[in-house]
Amino acid sequence: MTGESRNTFDVAVIGAGMAGMAAALFAAERGLSCIQVGSGGGILFASGLLDLLGVHPAAEGRQWRSPFNALAALAQKQPDHPLARVDPVAIRTAFESFVTALGEAGLVYAPLGDRNRKVLTSIGTVKTTFGVPLSMVAGANALEALDVLDAPDTPPSCLLVDFRGLREFSARQIAATLADRWPGLRHQRIEFPGFEDAPELYAAHLARALESGATRERTIALIKPLLGDAQLVGLPTVLGLGRSREVHAAFEAGLGVPVFEIPTMPTSVPGLRLLGALEAVMSARGVHRRRQASVRALACDANTGTATLDLDGVPGGERVSARAVVLATGRFSGRGLTADRGSVRESILGLPVHQPASRDAWHQRDFLDPSGHAINRAGLRTDDAWRPLDMSGKPAWPRLFAVGSILADQDWMRTKCGSGLAIATAWAATQQLADQLHGTAA
Amino acid sequence: MQSALFHTTLYISLALCVLGLLWRSSAWFRVRVGPDVRAVTLSQRVGALLRGAASALFSVRVFHILGALFLDVLLLRRLFAKEKLRWLGHLLILAGFTLLLLMHAFEAVVTVKLFPGYESTLAPYLFLRNLFGAMVIVGIALWFFGRWRRRTGLASVRRPMAAAFVALLGFVLVTGYLLEAQKIASPQAFYRMAKRFSGTTDPGELMPLRALWASEFGVAFDDLTEPMTPDVMAKGRQMHDDDCASCHAKPASAFVSYPVSRLLAPLTGFLDKARADIWLLYLHVFACFLGLATLPFTRFFHAVAVPASLLVNASAPNQAFSAAGRASKRALALDACLRCGICDAHCSVAPLARHLGNPYLLPAHKLVATGALANGHLLRSGHENEGFRVAEGAFLCTDCGRCTNDCPAGLDLEDLWQAGRGDLAAAGLPAPAQWVQALPALAWAEALEAAHGQHTASDPDASCAPLSADRRSFSRCVQCQTCTNVCPVVAQSIAAEHRVDLTPQKVMNLLRLGLRDLTLGSRMVWDCATCYQCQENCPEGVRVTDIMCELRALAVHRLGSVRSGRAPS
Repeated sequence: MTGESRNTFDVAVIGAGMAGMAAALFAAERGLSCIQVGSGGGILFASGLLDLLGVHPAAEGRQWRSPFNALAALAQKQPDHPLARVDPVAIRTAFESFVTALGEAGLVYAPLGDRNRKVLTSIGTVKTTFGVPLSMVAGANALEALDVLDAPDTPPSCLLVDFRGLREFSARQIAATLADRWPGLRHQRIEFPGFEDAPELYAAHLARALESGATRERTIALIKPLLGDAQLVGLPTVLGLGRSREVHAAFEAGLGVPVFEIPTMPTSVPGLRLLGALEAVMSARGVHRRRQASVRALACDANTGTATLDLDGVPGGERVSARAVVLATGRFSGRGLTADRGSVRESILGLPVHQPASRDAWHQRDFLDPSGHAINRAGLRTDDAWRPLDMSGKPAWPRLFAVGSILADQDWMRTKCGSGLAIATAWAATQQLADQLHGTAA
Repeated sequence: MQSALFHTTLYISLALCVLGLLWRSSAWFRVRVGPDVRAVTLSQRVGALLRGAASALFSVRVFHILGALFLDVLLLRRLFAKEKLRWLGHLLILAGFTLLLLMHAFEAVVTVKLFPGYESTLAPYLFLRNLFGAMVIVGIALWFFGRWRRRTGLASVRRPMAAAFVALLGFVLVTGYLLEAQKIASPQAFYRMAKRFSGTTDPGELMPLRALWASEFGVAFDDLTEPMTPDVMAKGRQMHDDDCASCHAKPASAFVSYPVSRLLAPLTGFLDKARADIWLLYLHVFACFLGLATLPFTRFFHAVAVPASLLVNASAPNQAFSAAGRASKRALALDACLRCGICDAHCSVAPLARHLGNPYLLPAHKLVATGALANGHLLRSGHENEGFRVAEGAFLCTDCGRCTNDCPAGLDLEDLWQAGRGDLAAAGLPAPAQWVQALPALAWAEALEAAHGQHTASDPDASCAPLSADRRSFSRCVQCQTCTNVCPVVAQSIAAEHRVDLTPQKVMNLLRLGLRDLTLGSRMVWDCATCYQCQENCPEGVRVTDIMCELRALAVHRLGSVRSGRAPS
């Protein structure tokens, strides 16, 4: 990274999850100098699949074939939902921009259509999502063919392969779960070449090993005799880390049939790939990163229009200043929100958190209630320009913005809209932010 | 001075010096440092020297050697690069001493041959002798000043007789100056010379010459009462020109001795009676002979060993040395170290040495210990603790290479440290990683339990293990396995004999369960490459690598106490 000594920026993004990464990317693309604080470790829980809006309403668990239709329905029923407050055209643009940047960093996604895709999970269930990595798309195609054709004599025959010792992935379990729907689905277990003595395998180690041509050739040679009539091969997500494109292409060429990866359980290779690609994106766009740092104090000066951030985790500490701040600190696991016995508070500035009146109202009586819990919809409320409000209901600071899961009035896990929420709100907020900064600069 | 006594003593001293040099330099073919040279024989080492010398001298390498001779040996280039002041001091000593040796000590064989009109009492030799002596004295002062300025706060290593040697050198210089001063002022010397060159000792007859010498040459006559008329002086100058001028210039250019002779003037009569000129000469000469005889066993031996080491280093690149050549190079390095302390002052683990109060972390101390180990002096019974401390120092060294880089004698210290660690391991004092991994983690935990009667992580030493003693540092761990997934050590530990027993997330889990003692001897903790992948990637911000490092430190402390059967120092 260049200019490590620099300490004045247009934008400071606090948080390095999906929302923080998206905000930093979009800010940089709008020509703003940007510093980002946070480890990015939360990205490791990602599956590499980019959800937009899969389920709505949560209580009904209704899955949508088109996320844009789902967005329209959401706008009708829940106009306060952050996703409902962003123009669907802008959401589409934001996704294209995000996916393009990832593709430049080596993590290529299938072209985004208008519909949600269906992807196999590592336990054989089907997940509804929007953006699918190229290495997984052949599986989605096959799975969707089962629904569309609905003709028992035509499903593609498919071989699922797993590796002895890789405990997080069982081809047999997936095949058993799908046996009724997918008659041509077979499974085989092989030894991973070079790891025959290892009692336990870890997906990332296999992914790294497959970046070596020799291991790749030996693995392909082990799978090839098992192909039989298979028109398709499914593997756990182990086809390379930073060079997944090359490894996937080599498998397809070597086996002579389409090959698809099935996302492994988090945290694993998909998260490592995504984090690696996003870090490369940040580096390429000149975003200054403070990976090991955290914000000890944030002071927003109303007179000078400058925010000052005191950072911990940097040797000797560091103080940076920025003209605008994006709060992308996430919820409880991201530590953007902190819950104690009585209430929930925002961790850095102590901004008012929209939340149930008392702890009794945090949860439903039934833990697995499909409509979710009130505490999961707690968060920051903002004005139309994505600026979190203070006690008086006014923006806390003219250029303090909040994006991603820290926003109130959404339950992204149940409605399968995590990436969508992050990317859409980051896009909308950086738009507002850029307008303001350019306005003041002019 | 009696010629027989002079020559007898000279030759005895010379013989002792030569024998001493032979004995000391034979160590370069005897002493073995490092397991890789243990099997090397004397004949192989002599052969390596001859072959090395031949191949260096009859190739372009000879220019390297000439360059080293001129730049490193004569101009002290390496010292110049590190410490200008000490370089100046050392250069003054080297130049002053060498010039004194050639011009003054060897006057009969050098100066007289080169300068036919040479007399020690003529200009510019009077001045030059004083100048060279003064250079040495200023040099010594600068050297000590530099040393004082660079002190590390830990006791520095000195050669046993270093102070005695410096005192002897000073003694030679002081007696030289005193002798010269006494001779300038001495009427007795005047009369002796007058008898020889003008054939008379009659004070009356010599009066004009005495008058001139008293006023211009500083002779302290106590009976010179007559007024010095210009006539007398003119006559004196005439006598001087006839008999003395060819050998005597005015002594004022002896800018040290002459002022000293003025100071001593009141005592001259007494000193003359006591024959100070004779015993000062004896002291001066015998001190020189003593220096000569003891040279191989004092600090001055470096004048032989350092150039030898520099030239050997210049003779071939490091990697070109055979085992036999390496053996000699290491032995030579042990002798060529001056204990100048520059390495200690720049050592990157010096703060740790101070913190632990263990000077064996510092290069100069470590070199002495390495030599003692090689010579069999270190591990005598009753000195086990010394051995443990030397091993602690040897294995806490980070091999940063600063000492090698900074050594003014150009010693390959990194190679010496590596060899020394091999010797320590062979002597039963291996690196902590080795002795810890000699037993499985469970065995260590049981040994700790047996020793302390406690197995769980209640800890009396929270201050030295702040992370693993504080559950907040690992309580956020969700066992997501990211640390294991990104760990290159786990990825490489496939074969059964190298396999890690625990993965990083299992280490964290044992901490969460309060079973810290089970982790202390684990292969994961000890094979950790400290690449920080786990820590950088941990989604929960657990300082996994820092904890691993802390567990290692704790293991050395706690398992070390079980191992040696004593309380940790």
